[in-house]
Amino acid sequence: MKILLVLLALLPLGVAYYQLDNAIDPIKMLYSYTGIGAISLLLLSLAPSTYKRICSINWLRYRKTIGLLAFVYALLHVSIFVALDSEFDFVTIFEKSLKKPFIYVGLIAFIIVLLMALTSFKKLFAKFSKYHKAVYLALALALLHSFWAQKVAGVFEYGIVAVGVVLLGERVWAKMHHNFK
Amino acid sequence: MENITPESLFEARRHFLKLGAGALVSSSAVSRLLADLPKDLSLKYTPDTNPLKLTLNTEEQATNYVNFYEFSTDKTAPVKLSQKMKTNPWNVGFFGELKTEQMLDVDDLIAKFGLEERIYRFRCVEGWSMVVPWIGFPLYKLLDYLEPNAKAKFVKFTTRNEPSMFPDQAKGIFASIKHPYVEGLRMDEARHPLTFIAVGMYGKRLLPQNGAPIRLVVPWKYGFKSIKSIDLIECVEEQPLNTWQVQDPKEYGFYANVNPKVDHPRWTQAKERVLGKLTKQDTLPFNGYEKEVASLYAGMDLRKLF
Repeated sequence: MKILLVLLALLPLGVAYYQLDNAIDPIKMLYSYTGIGAISLLLLSLAPSTYKRICSINWLRYRKTIGLLAFVYALLHVSIFVALDSEFDFVTIFEKSLKKPFIYVGLIAFIIVLLMALTSFKKLFAKFSKYHKAVYLALALALLHSFWAQKVAGVFEYGIVAVGVVLLGERVWAKMHHNFK
Repeated sequence: MENITPESLFEARRHFLKLGAGALVSSSAVSRLLADLPKDLSLKYTPDTNPLKLTLNTEEQATNYVNFYEFSTDKTAPVKLSQKMKTNPWNVGFFGELKTEQMLDVDDLIAKFGLEERIYRFRCVEGWSMVVPWIGFPLYKLLDYLEPNAKAKFVKFTTRNEPSMFPDQAKGIFASIKHPYVEGLRMDEARHPLTFIAVGMYGKRLLPQNGAPIRLVVPWKYGFKSIKSIDLIECVEEQPLNTWQVQDPKEYGFYANVNPKVDHPRWTQAKERVLGKLTKQDTLPFNGYEKEVASLYAGMDLRKLF
């Protein structure tokens, strides 16, 4: 089941690779695939706990896999920035790009996801799992980054906001409900 | 209309001659042959000799990757969404500080000013670029004809406002940008020999998604200056407020000259992604037209007047 999940989640990368030859704006296309993939998976990683509360289906065991997949997408996204977009020109990266909120907001989101990935295994997770609430911050920053990635935001950005509001709203509601009991 | 000679008609004529002196061909057979021809949009024009040896992007790339927010903010969606757009007849209005205010059809303009090809670099503010063979006439020819008066300091361009044609214009407050789209040039920029009014590209009339039937092309400025599907050209006294400047004055200015040294607040403009390539290339000052246009901006602080 987990293998299937991984294969399904990585399928878009296969599609991207297949389309690369004929892509009109290949770097932009790779940015979109990996960026949309990372944000979607990050958002999806919030779903198992929602399902557990609402439908009593326990998918929590997939949460780590989904989170790690989101990290893989984010890592690819950052690699495209460094290798293809900046062509390893670290002077420009540090002196120009990283000074722009659009870039550093995305980078902070990536660092959070990176730290979560590194502390998602056994012993470390026991110690650091409480900090994994930072996923909300990562998601918010990544979303802001994607809003800034185009001249004006489109369907994807607003769609993610809508789903995010639903998932967060349910969490807040569940918590209040729980407290009243 | 005499400038528009469908390529396929030539082909048909050749085919006709091949049949051998045309002796046995009835007129009904010829008309049937002509009726079967696909609608052709090819143009007759003076070709550009391409002295800079620019490598053209493919027609497929240039016609499938566009910013045309009147249809969609997506780059490919306008291709499908625009196919029903009716671009003929199309009257353009010429108003403001000029000798005789009037309306002229695009075909009349073609007949009046003739057509030439211009192979230009095109650089989008978003960081991608391409090389396109445009077909049209320089704007100064049109301005010479219109005779702007002494009060005319700027030229203002407006995209057609027709919500039944452009879905985004029908969205009211949910529209992606403020409609109708407005652009402007200083009179000396408008009269510069490089400033071009395009009615075609790649040998044919413009496709709807590329701003048919008539658009502006200012090769040393970011692509958003090159307004599409023009409805109005006005000679005005005051500097027009162009759409993207209204949208976000911190990010987009009136001049919008391509400048690798002045970054967009969100990304650097030092390099560009040539469509179809995985590697980047350096962006040139004034998009490679520095020699021709830099004098227009002598003494101006291009960091402030971006």
